[in-house]
Amino acid sequence: MKGTAVPEIVRFAAENTTSVGDVLGLGADQRTRWARGLLPRGPVDGTVFYAGEMYPVMGYAEGAFRALKRLEGLMDINSLAKAGPIMRKLGIYTVGTKALWGRINERYEKGLRDAIYVLKNLGIEVGYLFEDEPPSGVALHTYGLLREFKEHAEWVHQRLRELGVKRVITLDPIVATAFRLYYPEFVEGWDVEALLFVEVVAREMARRGVRLRLGREVKITYHDPCYLARTLGVVDEVRFILSRIDGVKYVEPPRHGVNTGCSGDGGLELTQPPLARKVSYERIEELKSTGAEMVFTSCPACIMMLRTGFDSVGVNISVEDLASLVAEAMRNGIEEAMPEEPRFSRYRVFPPSPKPKSLELKDLAEMLEWETDKCKKCGFCNVECPTAKALDRLESRSARGRMTLINSLVKGDPVRPKAVLDRLYSCVLCGQCSQACPVGLHVQELIVYGRAYAIYSGKAGVT
Amino acid sequence: MGFSQAISEISKKIGREKVLTEPEDVYAYSLDASTEFKQAPGAVVRASSEEDVRVVLEVADRERVPVVPRGSGTSLTGAPVPTSPESIVLDLTPMNRVEVNVDDGYVMAEAGATVLEVDKACREFGFFFPPDPASSRVATIGGALAENAGGLRGAKFGVMKNWVLAMEVYLAGGRKLRIGEPVYKWRWGPDLLSLFIGSEGTLGVITRAWLKIYPLPEKVVRVMGTFDRLEDAGSAISQVRRRGYVPMMLELLDRETIEIVNEVLGYGVEVAEAMVVADVDGPREAVWRMAGEVEQVMKESGGRTRASDDPEEMQQLYLARQGAYAAVTRAYPGVLLEDITVPLSKLMIALRELEKLRKEYGLRMPVFGHAGDGNLHPTICFDPRDEEQLRKAKEMFVKIGRLAVELGGAISGEHGIGLAKKELFLEEIKAVRGEGYLEVVRRIKELLDPNGIMNPGKLWF
Repeated sequence: MKGTAVPEIVRFAAENTTSVGDVLGLGADQRTRWARGLLPRGPVDGTVFYAGEMYPVMGYAEGAFRALKRLEGLMDINSLAKAGPIMRKLGIYTVGTKALWGRINERYEKGLRDAIYVLKNLGIEVGYLFEDEPPSGVALHTYGLLREFKEHAEWVHQRLRELGVKRVITLDPIVATAFRLYYPEFVEGWDVEALLFVEVVAREMARRGVRLRLGREVKITYHDPCYLARTLGVVDEVRFILSRIDGVKYVEPPRHGVNTGCSGDGGLELTQPPLARKVSYERIEELKSTGAEMVFTSCPACIMMLRTGFDSVGVNISVEDLASLVAEAMRNGIEEAMPEEPRFSRYRVFPPSPKPKSLELKDLAEMLEWETDKCKKCGFCNVECPTAKALDRLESRSARGRMTLINSLVKGDPVRPKAVLDRLYSCVLCGQCSQACPVGLHVQELIVYGRAYAIYSGKAGVT
Repeated sequence: MGFSQAISEISKKIGREKVLTEPEDVYAYSLDASTEFKQAPGAVVRASSEEDVRVVLEVADRERVPVVPRGSGTSLTGAPVPTSPESIVLDLTPMNRVEVNVDDGYVMAEAGATVLEVDKACREFGFFFPPDPASSRVATIGGALAENAGGLRGAKFGVMKNWVLAMEVYLAGGRKLRIGEPVYKWRWGPDLLSLFIGSEGTLGVITRAWLKIYPLPEKVVRVMGTFDRLEDAGSAISQVRRRGYVPMMLELLDRETIEIVNEVLGYGVEVAEAMVVADVDGPREAVWRMAGEVEQVMKESGGRTRASDDPEEMQQLYLARQGAYAAVTRAYPGVLLEDITVPLSKLMIALRELEKLRKEYGLRMPVFGHAGDGNLHPTICFDPRDEEQLRKAKEMFVKIGRLAVELGGAISGEHGIGLAKKELFLEEIKAVRGEGYLEVVRRIKELLDPNGIMNPGKLWF
């Protein structure tokens, strides 16, 4: 990736993912410590709990994100990313980050442990791969490094086969999206089932007629992560679980389910943190308006953006993984009543994915030109686009503007791949654009493919 | 001197951060919703105050730099697309304040507020803003005024110009004109409001407007009629109006529209040669009687009718009309959206002639539109990669415009002229008004914009 249009921070995350195994490059010891003594090594009946490359180290990302705010004006994210490898060479990277942000990370580790507590108490047996757990590499996909993603995903498939994994259960909807939607597209013969924690728990609670007691009254709300709700269509399970916990007074935020709003992540928190922060404010206000004392969600990146977001506006609302709420209630015991068969719909919001013939430049260009030519510039996407809203409808960093720029890039207008990539990287990939598009474009996937085209055409020297 | 001088002076005066010159920023402003014309400006200025607008117009006029005012770029005619690279696109979307004065019966909106934002603000007080172009959630008040936009409620409530009490306009050179007052009656003459409304940014920049608001209807009943002959639907519409009913919405769609909606969106709407959808509004006690009378008129023209005031069922009755644009754009990468208006009494002839054209050229052309005010949107569908189809589509486009003029109508009801209909427009004007009319308008233009910097190349300028 040297000498490409790819910014330092993306290169940092991508290289860490593939060579170290987590986005921040902290290493297996940090990544797996949450599970020590908790889970057996290797799959149980072909099933493993899959922590992924983000959740177990998200607290360090949160620490860095908080630090960046203090460094604003002095140092940007790409300069910070340059410091990482230098610190690693000096042998102070892991020790240093642990000393700085280890405490913050403990809250994320607790989320993971709570999830295991819940699964175990429902009698769902899982193992864990510890340092053998291959990272999904979803960040490679997110940032448009699609050739690298393909190669990595093929390797992951191979590894999971060797380790006897047939099924993964995960708390992270971003890696679940990779396994459910991207892997089947990029890896021939992909046959690993990826289940979400909320799906498994809801199903089991229903089957056994489980009722839980929180032992206190609390008014809560839930932030549907876009990957979970809009992309994977998982909405009903969460409501079902919440309805089975006595003491929970649940309030829906104004935008919820497949119409959820963005908390400012989707990769933007890494590439353009100040914009990510700005994007999150609308959602933070919305969640606050529910009057809830606690916010629950099911995505490590959303947890990070909401925790730091509430702090930055001086509001004392705690944000936790839904798994922690279930675990808290479960510690008061499990009542089993009449089993039931609730219907959990799988909502489908997006049109089929665009498919280039290959990842060669000319095939990418052909698909992108055909698709973005269909864009009628009606601007319905921009009304919903979180970055357009945060930037007072600035066209070049809006959904419609990105379609225009991709079209310009593949048609050979005098736009520079690196600068186009910068605009494309300002997208949170929330998919509200695709939901609003009358033409039926899969806008956020076109943005991912557009990133790929900008990267690989940038490589040819036109940066 | 010239373009770069102007840009650096503007940057210095209003702040560098409001002036975009990177190719990747300006190219995002190179198109509008016609997608037919493309030209990136040399710079985009994001005006966040009237002072920003004034500075741009003062400097650009002195340096003879073209200024293209822009709202959300939803124009269907190329109106906000520059015609030369050394132009400034003046983006007014950051100016988007909306204030409702319910006691005095108006809403003040800055140019960049969307039509829907304005409408929503009024609804909080039990009022609404009647003009509703299909793009209302995106389109700005400034753009809608500059284009004199219409919408679905046109038959009853007219177009933008019918709702303006006062406006502020900046002229080339930076002079501000305040026209009218936010009261329901004032009579200075001549009326300059109408001069600027629909002028497509060629005479000045509208920065804010005071607009009339209207009480929300007490009750609405939706009546839907299906017809075995397109002409019968045309007759039903003109009869509804002829007998004195003014439904809030009176829409027509033909068989091809219904078929495409069903094919693409899978709605399963009953296929008929034509469908008419009317929204009858009125006091709770009377609205069903009025709806019944509209139903009766449709029946007399050979229609089968259904009516409902249940929100879900109303939505069902409207499905085919609502999905029309989405279905057509999904099915066809190339569309030319026509916008003719004909006298209501000629609606049947127009529909018959359109049918002939469709057969003659062999291209699909669903016809839908706000037929209640004589406004039709025949939508020519083609594959842009097929040169023969492209040629045919363009020919049809011109013929449809001419048909409207022949029938005593207009080539554009609500979308405007921009670049798309420039030639047709000149043809229309010369045919129906003669050179003398053009001369008067040219002189007005010279007076207001002597250096010709305001959106050059649009309308007839």
